[in-house]
Amino acid sequence: MIELIIDDKKVSVEEGTTILAAAKKIGINIPNMCYDKRLRPYGGCRICVVEQEGNPRLLASCSTPAATGMVIKTDTPKLNKVRQTVLELMLVHHPLDCPICDKAGECDLQDMAFQYGKPEGRFIRHRKAIPSDVRGPLVELTANRCILCGKCVRICAEHQGRGALGFIGRGFPTVVQPAFGEILECDYCGQCIDICPTGALLSKPMKFQARAWFLEEKDTICPFCSCGCTLTIGTREGKILRSRAKEDSGRSEGNLCGRGRFGVDYIYSETRLKTPLIRKDGELVAATWDEALKYAGDSLTRIIAAHGKDAIGALGSHRCTNEDNYMLRKFMSTVIGSGNIDSSAAFGFWKVQQAISMAFGTKSHTIAMKYPLGKDVIMVIESDISATHPVFGLNILRAKREGSKLIVADTRDTKLTRHSTSHLRMESGTSVAFINGLMKIIIDKDLFNRQVVSKIEGFDAFEKSLDDYTPDKVSKITRISEAQITETAESLAKAKSRMISLTINVSENSKGMDMVLAAANLVMLLGDEPETLQIPAEYANTVGMASMGIHPAAGAKNIFNMLYEQGAVKGLFIMGEDPVSVYPFSSKILSVLKSLDLLIVQDIALTETAKLAHIVLPAAGWSEKDGTFINAEGISQKLQRIIETPGQAMPDWQIMRNLALAMGKEIGTRSVEGLSEEIKKTVIEQKNLADNRAFHAVPYSAGEIPSAEYPLALVVRDVLQHSGSMSTRSKSLDLVVSEAYLELNEEDATKLAVSDNSHVKVSSRRGTIYLKARVTDSVPAGTVFSSTHFPHSRVNTLLYYPENGTASPCAVKVESAK
Amino acid sequence: MAKLNIEDLKTLHEKNKAAFGPDSGKFRTKVTVHMGTCGLAAGAKQVMDTLVEEVKKNSLADIMIASSGCAGLCGREPIMTVEQLGEEPVKYCDLNSEKTEKIVKEHLAGGQIVSTFALPPKKDMPFMNLQELRVLRNTGFMDPESIDEYVAREGYLAAAKALTQMTTEDIIKTVKDSGLRGRGGAGFLTGLKWEFASRVPSETKFMLCNGDEGDPGAFMDRSVMEADPHSVIEGMIIGARAIGANYGYIYVRAEYPLAVKRLQMAIDKATEMGLLGKNILNTGFDFELEIYLGAGAFVCGEETALMRSLEGKRGMPRPRPPFPAVKGLWDKPSVLNNVETLAQIAPIILNGSEWYRTAGTEKSAGTKVFALTGAVNNVGLVEVPMGIPLRRIIYDIGGGIRKGRKFKAVQLGGPSGGCIPEHLLDIPVTYEDIMATGAIVGSGGMVVMDDNTCMVGTAKFFLEFTADESCGKCTPCRVGTKILLDMLTDITDGKGSYKDMETLEDLSRDIITTSLCGLGQTAPNPVLSTLRYFKDEYESHITQKWCKAGVCRNLTTFMIDEKLCTACGACRRACPSKAIVGEKKVPHKIIQELCVHCRSCYDTCKFNSIRILPAGFEGDPNEFLEKASAGKKEEK
Repeated sequence: MIELIIDDKKVSVEEGTTILAAAKKIGINIPNMCYDKRLRPYGGCRICVVEQEGNPRLLASCSTPAATGMVIKTDTPKLNKVRQTVLELMLVHHPLDCPICDKAGECDLQDMAFQYGKPEGRFIRHRKAIPSDVRGPLVELTANRCILCGKCVRICAEHQGRGALGFIGRGFPTVVQPAFGEILECDYCGQCIDICPTGALLSKPMKFQARAWFLEEKDTICPFCSCGCTLTIGTREGKILRSRAKEDSGRSEGNLCGRGRFGVDYIYSETRLKTPLIRKDGELVAATWDEALKYAGDSLTRIIAAHGKDAIGALGSHRCTNEDNYMLRKFMSTVIGSGNIDSSAAFGFWKVQQAISMAFGTKSHTIAMKYPLGKDVIMVIESDISATHPVFGLNILRAKREGSKLIVADTRDTKLTRHSTSHLRMESGTSVAFINGLMKIIIDKDLFNRQVVSKIEGFDAFEKSLDDYTPDKVSKITRISEAQITETAESLAKAKSRMISLTINVSENSKGMDMVLAAANLVMLLGDEPETLQIPAEYANTVGMASMGIHPAAGAKNIFNMLYEQGAVKGLFIMGEDPVSVYPFSSKILSVLKSLDLLIVQDIALTETAKLAHIVLPAAGWSEKDGTFINAEGISQKLQRIIETPGQAMPDWQIMRNLALAMGKEIGTRSVEGLSEEIKKTVIEQKNLADNRAFHAVPYSAGEIPSAEYPLALVVRDVLQHSGSMSTRSKSLDLVVSEAYLELNEEDATKLAVSDNSHVKVSSRRGTIYLKARVTDSVPAGTVFSSTHFPHSRVNTLLYYPENGTASPCAVKVESAK
Repeated sequence: MAKLNIEDLKTLHEKNKAAFGPDSGKFRTKVTVHMGTCGLAAGAKQVMDTLVEEVKKNSLADIMIASSGCAGLCGREPIMTVEQLGEEPVKYCDLNSEKTEKIVKEHLAGGQIVSTFALPPKKDMPFMNLQELRVLRNTGFMDPESIDEYVAREGYLAAAKALTQMTTEDIIKTVKDSGLRGRGGAGFLTGLKWEFASRVPSETKFMLCNGDEGDPGAFMDRSVMEADPHSVIEGMIIGARAIGANYGYIYVRAEYPLAVKRLQMAIDKATEMGLLGKNILNTGFDFELEIYLGAGAFVCGEETALMRSLEGKRGMPRPRPPFPAVKGLWDKPSVLNNVETLAQIAPIILNGSEWYRTAGTEKSAGTKVFALTGAVNNVGLVEVPMGIPLRRIIYDIGGGIRKGRKFKAVQLGGPSGGCIPEHLLDIPVTYEDIMATGAIVGSGGMVVMDDNTCMVGTAKFFLEFTADESCGKCTPCRVGTKILLDMLTDITDGKGSYKDMETLEDLSRDIITTSLCGLGQTAPNPVLSTLRYFKDEYESHITQKWCKAGVCRNLTTFMIDEKLCTACGACRRACPSKAIVGEKKVPHKIIQELCVHCRSCYDTCKFNSIRILPAGFEGDPNEFLEKASAGKKEEK
């Protein structure tokens, strides 16, 4: 520990701590403009200078490490004087256009000028006159206001790993710009907006919407992925105007991706439901709550009477709160009396849970946002974590920056592959073979603790099952070179600490439960604990939904029965899900849903699924209700009701309660607080089972492989700008990506006579759709890429669902649509 | 060529020692044409061609013709040295083809020295005999493209000694004891720098050479790299060995093509002979060296910025600590030394630290090379023992002020330095003494200015440079230098106010205390030092609108003293705007409305009859000037 004195106060800090951080520890805030703890010290603004006793030179406190015996003064007349001069210099070229600057009122430069500034400046020249760059969809860049602290440049390059902004020019004319002065094309995370100490970088959707001091801010949890980032939502007159991250706040520690920052305006989608709808003469028409609930209750009662309780099923939602899901399950069990309840987690989260419990005997394993930090080797397999879980991805990038080795096995070029130590370009859907191959090498080279590991149940059969996975065979299947496979196996085995990460999601088609099981084998083989395997859950409340028991009871019908089997149920209650738009093989789903006696859809918008319903119930959106979400880490976080519900919409849990009442049953308290209490009492934390490990032989199965008729392998994954299908209702995000596209390699494009941006016809054995082509080298020849977010693009039409939980690689044919 | 081991090197040295020069017995005469950039620019190539041709024509057999780098006296290039056995070498200067022909005929063939073109013998020439050549020991004396000749001149023997007979501690101790300080400008003890880096444990370290000589008017490093590239490489090998580095880069500005070419040749040759690369001299030590071209940003001479540039990033400095010795290039321990520093290493290792201390002072040991330019008679490179008074450099070595004009100031340290006035010329040239004047020794640019120089303009010149070269990272340097420049421009445009002087000084001090790197921390020095020693010039610019040197166009009126005018018409012919009228035998006059204040008349007049007066002056110039000087005397 290092001991020093700052402003007459003693402080002891760890070695390497800067003076600025040490001062902060004892509540002394040293003013600064270019410091951010996420970034490497820069020392550019020179506001944070401090005096050290016995040193004639001033020290930049943001970059100078504290040393034992230092006596530091942070507030002296001399410091005031030079800070004043530096500010004066910044203000020389900063236009004093605060009256028309959105930053005014929460501008660091303004605040600091207020604190240190002199009433008059000695220098009155050099205003820059660079026109604002308003060309980008979401971020506006006004170089005139820029004081060149470089925080945006650095957060983009160092922290986000993007590097979309840079310094152009030298000396006084230096400006921050995208390369070659082109339009800012980036991840649209908007971190640069939060970090900018002036109004040089501003959110375009927020422009001129409100003065900062009129905004009311409340913290809530992001509705998209399972990172569980804290959003600080700014409203004025009951309308959400922006979302931002406060310094250090929440699980995300002040970070946000573009979805959380710009995507929350989906709540204002024109498709929002304001009244209940019931189908009359084939049309959905507005109805009162009484009408709709009576209709629903009567219909449910009728089906039960005719076909039994088992004829009713329900789907819960990761978009809904714990309270909502709890009430759905309670409704199903106590009012309907059916265990037919499931959710989209069956395509992802539950597969993972099942594999983990098979392998480790535990019910769940720990996911931690910060798990990547400090790991010797990080291996990411066939997953674009920086897109699906952007903030978790940041920690992977940070770990790499801080010295971890990052191995990414992936078909496609992603941000992670670009930042990887080695990118193993693999054939999609071959992870099981790849992992088996790694394990074979580890065993053959005796790079594991045989004495301990061989005692684990099933080891012998497992060892034998790997016989086929020799490097040359695995190399043929995965197209990763033998040398790379061997090198990867060795570096994994020799690492002091490891993380193996992947994602499994309804919107991804090349991975299955067998891959998790194989990865779990690898973890056990290496002698690691289950948490080495980091598989974050898909969406904001997937974990919460699961812990509320949205899962078929023993012997009950699951999602595959309910959605893909004609007549498995007669009536279906879908809460907050849009299977038609998102789930694979939608033509099958469509026909099943159309044949139902009763389809009730409860959602915030008129989704493709809702359009088929007999009854549509309008639910409150994520920002319109209180409740809780549980993030991937298992941390329960509170949502806040920030705005009013539109029209007659109401929180899902309340609708469930009212529907039960309409059916003559009282199933819950009247307040969400009461409900939360009840949940706490009834949903008992399921303790992890004892560590009871077992190896399972996991054979690699190729699935649907490309054929002469369908020669290309389609990889479906999420794109960075979207999460599920709800984000596509965000106007802001739609400005960036508003439709699915098909990425295909130049070689294939040439063969198929497809040019960039032209339309292509994509068909699989299950359907045909039309997409725009993007010719790129980020996918290898033979592979094409798309994503399922967009209801109107119908990419899910092409896919199928994996009956046995394995991957569902999809072979397609692409033709020019001219 | 096979790779050498230690013994081979020694043998080669002995063999080569005898092979070069007239005492080898192989030829009677050795003629060297100095072909550095300065020589080539002045026509050395032509001289060389003529020499070869004439020697052939005259069938002179036993003559060795050689080329080498700069001979030091850059102002008198092209220069040729003729060495004959038993005779004092003769240096011919200001050559062209005709003169060369004559020299071949009379001296080489006829044995008669052509004294009209020859420089006086060394003992009679202070320019030569006051110098002590250590850095420049080979510069101009050998063919820079010949590794054999370098080996003949004890080349690589120091590296061999360091690799075989010395521990890293020995090397560091020797360099530390020698008192050698970094010649790049800051004057940090080289041995100490090495010691820091050697103590940081790391598998990968870097030994770097800073050849990004950027000060306007400085060309020491270029000359060394062009004329003696191996000495730099040898210094680097020794340094690399001392700190434990196996990789090195020489960062050279792309504007030095000849230096780059010769360095590359030297690296290739040395690698071929096993003096670089893997297993150097069969000692097991590896050192691989590459050249990296700088793109000409001045700030990339700053060590942390240079390292960023080497990494392929934007050349911007980083705060220190961490110091490069701990986290430098690619965050690995790195040592960056200046060319001149590195060129001193080999003789220190061979001759010991005590030898090095025979020149210089206690705190500023050894010799320093200066690029002496400006208004002196002998423009060129001079290497002097530290501690020598400035006056000796300017008046004895430099031969005094050109055209008999009056000395005004000497600018030291380039844009980071300051101007030293006449009354301080007797101070010794040491790091401390120069620093006390407000200038710095810097990398060695020494620009002598006569009374035709406007000191406000000089400060402006340097600020133009630094404002332009500021990287833009830190606020005080980026904005501050620009404001200093604009205020100086205002003053030279006649728009200054009295308060500006105060503001200039105050802002300068704040820029110095708050800037991130050496560039900003020293950029205001030219302003401060001119304000300190030449405040009266600022005052006359501001209050009298009078640039006494006649440089600032808005602040001058040129008039002809009719009493002194001989009506020779020279000024009339020189005037570009036809503002001078007059006939034969009638004193000339300047029509003020037409005058563009270009000062051509003033520079042309041989009779000193042009008067420089304040802007808008009307009346009798002599009367005004007398009054002005009387007033000044009174003040004193």
